[in-house]
Amino acid sequence: MHDHDHARTVKPMVDEITDFEVLEIALRELCIEKGLFTAEQHRHLTEFAEQIGPTAAARLVAKAWLDPQFKALALNDPIAACRQVGVDWLEPTGFGTPSDFVAFKILEDTPTVHHVICCALCSCYPRPILGNSPEWYRTPNYRRRIVRWPRQVLSEFGLQLAEGVEVRVEDSNQKHRFMVMPMRPAGTEGWTEDQLAEILTRDSLIGVSLPKPGVTTNVITKARPANNPISSSGAPS
Amino acid sequence: GSEVVRNRHHIEAVGIGDPQRFAGLADPARFALGDRVRVRNLPAMFYTRTPEYVRGARGTIAELAYESPAPEDETWDREDAKPEWFYIVRFNQTELWESYTGPANDTLQTEIPERWLEPA
Repeated sequence: MHDHDHARTVKPMVDEITDFEVLEIALRELCIEKGLFTAEQHRHLTEFAEQIGPTAAARLVAKAWLDPQFKALALNDPIAACRQVGVDWLEPTGFGTPSDFVAFKILEDTPTVHHVICCALCSCYPRPILGNSPEWYRTPNYRRRIVRWPRQVLSEFGLQLAEGVEVRVEDSNQKHRFMVMPMRPAGTEGWTEDQLAEILTRDSLIGVSLPKPGVTTNVITKARPANNPISSSGAPS
Repeated sequence: GSEVVRNRHHIEAVGIGDPQRFAGLADPARFALGDRVRVRNLPAMFYTRTPEYVRGARGTIAELAYESPAPEDETWDREDAKPEWFYIVRFNQTELWESYTGPANDTLQTEIPERWLEPA
């Protein structure tokens, strides 16, 4: 038996690279080499995807709660209403994102109708105004069950609705993208737009929860860590 | 670059948006708001976006959405595809699921191109 010096064993220079990463690089480099898109365009789209989030959507609904005229605009011409909270659906290509299109509709909850959105065919989501979709929204589980057992699924999110309330599932299976405009909850009288926007969580704009004074985060679910997560600087860590 | 085939979509839609670029290109809408329709059971080999769960079901036109080529054509980039009207159709959940367990007034809405619809 020779005397193996474990302390001097050579460590890999980089963390393990997955098949997915190898293929991502191969595909991207080939596309750039063949001129299908440029490296700059790739960066441009990545930057677009990094600056979207649910803030603008929350702002839009808070404004609508405070201003009946803006609310009417949000319901009748939602694309124009989005521009007033800094979201131009024609970005970043000049004709919209290729996968989110330019057909947006805001679903107004009433005392007798509650909306919840899904994409049973894949994961269509109003990304320009609401950011990237949550992982659970893309799962076959949510997509299969929400259309057929909406009340059971909503109750798993902690949302129980009375029998008298019509639950309306909106399946975004074509070019329209949807967002829910929940009802303004009691206990928010005299609140500013900032205060109202804070309780308009992503989940409440999907329709799996209701805005509630004091609740400013989404339902806490177990987050599955990525192998190679996007760091706060935007670069892989 | 205007002669490059893959630039066509960009050139036609830039500054307008998709589906706005197809506005005015479909035949007049066959259905109006509030019309009762039934979803046809067309062959759907290789691709469709009309969910299986609405085939044969009766619903109500909730909105004339926009004009666009149907996804069954667009997904294969069929150049001769004619845009048609899309509708948001509202279904009663009890019409879709034989064993629906919720209240009778629960609904589901989804968007369907005209070719899939007939008067109920």
